[in-house]
Amino acid sequence: MSPVTPPKPSPFAALLELPGNVWKSIFRNPLPSNDLERSATSFTNFFLHIHPVKVHKNSLRPAYTFGLGLISFFLFVILIVTGILLMFYYVPSTTQAYDQMLDLRGTVAFGTLLRNMHRWSAHAMVAVVFLHLCRVFLTGSYKKPREFNWVVGVILFLLTLFMSFTGYLLPWDQLAFWAITVGTAIAGYAPIVGKDMQFLLMGGTSVGQEALLRFYVLHVAVLPSVLVLAIAIHFWRIRKDGGLSRSEDADPVISLEAIPTVKASVLEPKKTYGLQGLVRGPLTKVGQIPDNTVFSWPNLFLAELFTFVVTLSAILIVSLLFNAPLEEPVNALHPPNPAKAPWYFLGLQEMVSYSAFWGGIGVPTIFVLLLLGTPYLDRGPKGVGKWFSRDRLLANTIFITFVVANIIFVIIGTFFRGANWSFVTPW
Amino acid sequence: MRLALAIGTFFILVIHGIVFYNQFGHPWERNQNTYFDQAKVLAKTDTEKAALAARRPRIEQIVVSNFGETRVDRCTTCHIAADDPRFSSHAEPVKTHPYSATLGDYQKDGKWERRHKFAEFGCTVCHDGQGRGLDAEYSHGRDEYWPDPLLGFTTQENWRKDFAPKLKGKEYMEANCAQCHTDTAFAGTALVTRGRALFFATNCYGCHRIEGLSDGTIGPDLSDVGRKWKLDYLWGRIADPKSILATSIMPKFNLKDEDIKALVVFLKSRKGRNFAETEIQRFKVKLTGGAELVQATIKPVQINPKEMVKQGEKLVLDRACTACHKLGERDGGIAPDLSQEGLIKDSEWIYDHFKNPKSTMPDSIMPAFRFTDDEFKAMTAYLVTLKGVTAPPAGEAIYKNYCLRCHGEKGDGHGPIAEHLDPYPRDLTKAGFMNSKPEARLVNSVRNGVAGTSMPAWGKLLNEEQAKAVLSYVQSSFTKEPRREVKPHAIPEKNPVATSKESANRGEALFVNRCAGCHGKKGDGKGPNSLDILPKPRNLRNSFFVNSVDDKRLFDSIEYGVQGTAMPSWIDYGLTHNDVGDLVNFIRSINQKPKGGQHAAAIQ
Repeated sequence: MSPVTPPKPSPFAALLELPGNVWKSIFRNPLPSNDLERSATSFTNFFLHIHPVKVHKNSLRPAYTFGLGLISFFLFVILIVTGILLMFYYVPSTTQAYDQMLDLRGTVAFGTLLRNMHRWSAHAMVAVVFLHLCRVFLTGSYKKPREFNWVVGVILFLLTLFMSFTGYLLPWDQLAFWAITVGTAIAGYAPIVGKDMQFLLMGGTSVGQEALLRFYVLHVAVLPSVLVLAIAIHFWRIRKDGGLSRSEDADPVISLEAIPTVKASVLEPKKTYGLQGLVRGPLTKVGQIPDNTVFSWPNLFLAELFTFVVTLSAILIVSLLFNAPLEEPVNALHPPNPAKAPWYFLGLQEMVSYSAFWGGIGVPTIFVLLLLGTPYLDRGPKGVGKWFSRDRLLANTIFITFVVANIIFVIIGTFFRGANWSFVTPW
Repeated sequence: MRLALAIGTFFILVIHGIVFYNQFGHPWERNQNTYFDQAKVLAKTDTEKAALAARRPRIEQIVVSNFGETRVDRCTTCHIAADDPRFSSHAEPVKTHPYSATLGDYQKDGKWERRHKFAEFGCTVCHDGQGRGLDAEYSHGRDEYWPDPLLGFTTQENWRKDFAPKLKGKEYMEANCAQCHTDTAFAGTALVTRGRALFFATNCYGCHRIEGLSDGTIGPDLSDVGRKWKLDYLWGRIADPKSILATSIMPKFNLKDEDIKALVVFLKSRKGRNFAETEIQRFKVKLTGGAELVQATIKPVQINPKEMVKQGEKLVLDRACTACHKLGERDGGIAPDLSQEGLIKDSEWIYDHFKNPKSTMPDSIMPAFRFTDDEFKAMTAYLVTLKGVTAPPAGEAIYKNYCLRCHGEKGDGHGPIAEHLDPYPRDLTKAGFMNSKPEARLVNSVRNGVAGTSMPAWGKLLNEEQAKAVLSYVQSSFTKEPRREVKPHAIPEKNPVATSKESANRGEALFVNRCAGCHGKKGDGKGPNSLDILPKPRNLRNSFFVNSVDDKRLFDSIEYGVQGTAMPSWIDYGLTHNDVGDLVNFIRSINQKPKGGQHAAAIQ
């Protein structure tokens, strides 16, 4: 840009222009009106530069992604904010934790709302992350080159479960105490390392002060850090793998002249590469090659904002309407009958009631290993980017069988199990 | 999309508005403002008015640490006029806490003074409820999970509708009075005292333990039942035990509502350690077992010697013996059948068993009831008249009539009441055991019983043929293997080692070395290995049993083992006749109790 003649500096004018100058110093671009400015908005803003400048239309189709990944992320953001606020009040001590809960519920300003939001967001996150996993599987999005991102995703799912599980103990009420007692007992069924793992997790042979402290540290420090790192990798890899998956016919066919292969020889001078040359991907777009992309500003950002607003609204409404449960203070001598694990582990507990090893360790381990190994076992390149693609009938059938079975077990465990784990009808 | 975004954003704004409104429109603030306004009207001086005008709503709290764990009572945030006598006729919550002479409040210079000052006692010490809460729902404990709703004022949603109304009334608060006022004669805790009397009068103490009061072992320990359970559970468990726990073996006592209420208040007052107690006091009560209390509270029945049997019958029924035992049609399903008691036990044994069940059967779980000697005599007199019905001739019918209750339908020793018996009934399917014993011994066990165990002597009911008939039924139905010829074992006729202290000492050393793993260091059959063994190792401190078997049998069991059990043949492990002789002397030496009932003289 051509340099503008600087106006005569006057202290008064500087004062007048102060708000405008501050604003401009932060937001370098005006609201974009042409493609260049739209690009600049994306890559000059710290929070937006994670996004590509242009995004494929397929990635914006609500019916393709349902925004599940974004919702998971926004729930995580809500959880971090409410979690940090809750940390100001919470004390991880068996003698004080429950009293702090009572204070949060009765006395602390917005305490009930914060706790409700944290609780319901946590439950929602487990569910949404799982649905996101299902979406990615059923659209075959784990296939080359997204294999590793799928693995990161599965790890994120497990971390989410563990995160929710460690948070479950913190209120230190009967619900928390017995759910964790049951949950850690399931971990104890693992062969060889089971008992040691259980001991390490609880810091003793039963749930007590040590367990509370360990779960607290895991919940507020260790797991969030790992989760943030894994999310960063997950996002980074989405960019590196060329955005969200899409089917082959989503892009217009471009015929490119065959690039003559240069026979490399040690004697030839070394080839130099520009930065673009190092970035791997299907192709680097230059010039006016026809494609199906649109600018991220405003298409992608509006969609993201919309998702955020909907997520936050939903959590707020649920938090206003339903209070997070708080049961009796812990009584280690009086278990409720039945003592149930958190709902997302009830499928496991239900299976444990048939066989301790297979239900608690065997089947889940096989399921997780299968999930992790999926992109390396299922190498067929076909069926990417389509829901329930015919080319992936076998993989989808196996996956849906596992998922439906687990959901059925969770429903049985939640609603159809009464005292002594005997079958009851909920009505 | 943009429209949806705008609507969504608007929605969030609205929700935040609601949240803020809820947050800052506290009911307690309104209550406090009401109080300030009304107090301004009542105020007499200008300074008082100015002070009131300057007051702003705030959370009031009393921190009490004199009574167990620290309590934070914020009740006076709403009940702000609790200590302001001018508000005695106002509506709750801005109302004066009533003054009452019964509570110890007194008048001084025309003004009431409280015996229990709020600043010192707080509120929840007497009232229960959740002191930290700031709205009625939570602080009164209406929330179904709160363990201590306001005693006698608040009932919870999920309480049983049929008796929830009965659980209201300030008399329930006596349970909390009794935390400090432990004196049984204290006028303020009349219901607790009555409940305690009923606890003894209705025989609760026989099954339930309450530290310092009773030692029952069959039912759960009630020492801190008031801390664990709410009123509706206590009422339900007493009024209809099976409605709360289907497998409960507690009988339904059909008490009147006033009696149940007294028991509920008494039980609610059992919270483990009282505020008024010191550790030393608690220990002293533990030592005495509260014997004086019991003597003072049970009302004995006057026994007329001429109507002993009749009175005894009434006592047996009134005192709920059939809550455990079987008698005619009534069956508690826990303890043996009394229908033919007169034929299988004598009056001396029954009386001893009453006075102290363990004196005739060392591992009996029957509680030692604290009835008077006369009452026991009357009940004994009634029981010896019970002759049952004439025994059927067929083996199968005999087994089903008499043996099944303990030995079980399949003869495997798992009869309906087997789990309450110690030692367990013999597993008749173990051919190894059944076939290694000569028939004469089995007949002897049936007809003369096994001393010190629950196996009674059936001799007066079954003659030799009948005993053999039932044994052959057992043989063909359960044991199944045909009897083998039992080879006579080479055992000494009598103990080759003379009884002496040295011999017993040697025996003890051997015992600790070889036998304690199963029979336990004390010889009580509870060694570390005993957990995995069925049948359980014999309790060698059961004098009745040990004294009923001769040296020959002890030698046989030790040297050649007991087939069908975990007892090995010790000859194979290098024990000589002399070693076994020492062992036998040792076992005899730990069973040197006087034989015969310790109360034998009383019955005559």
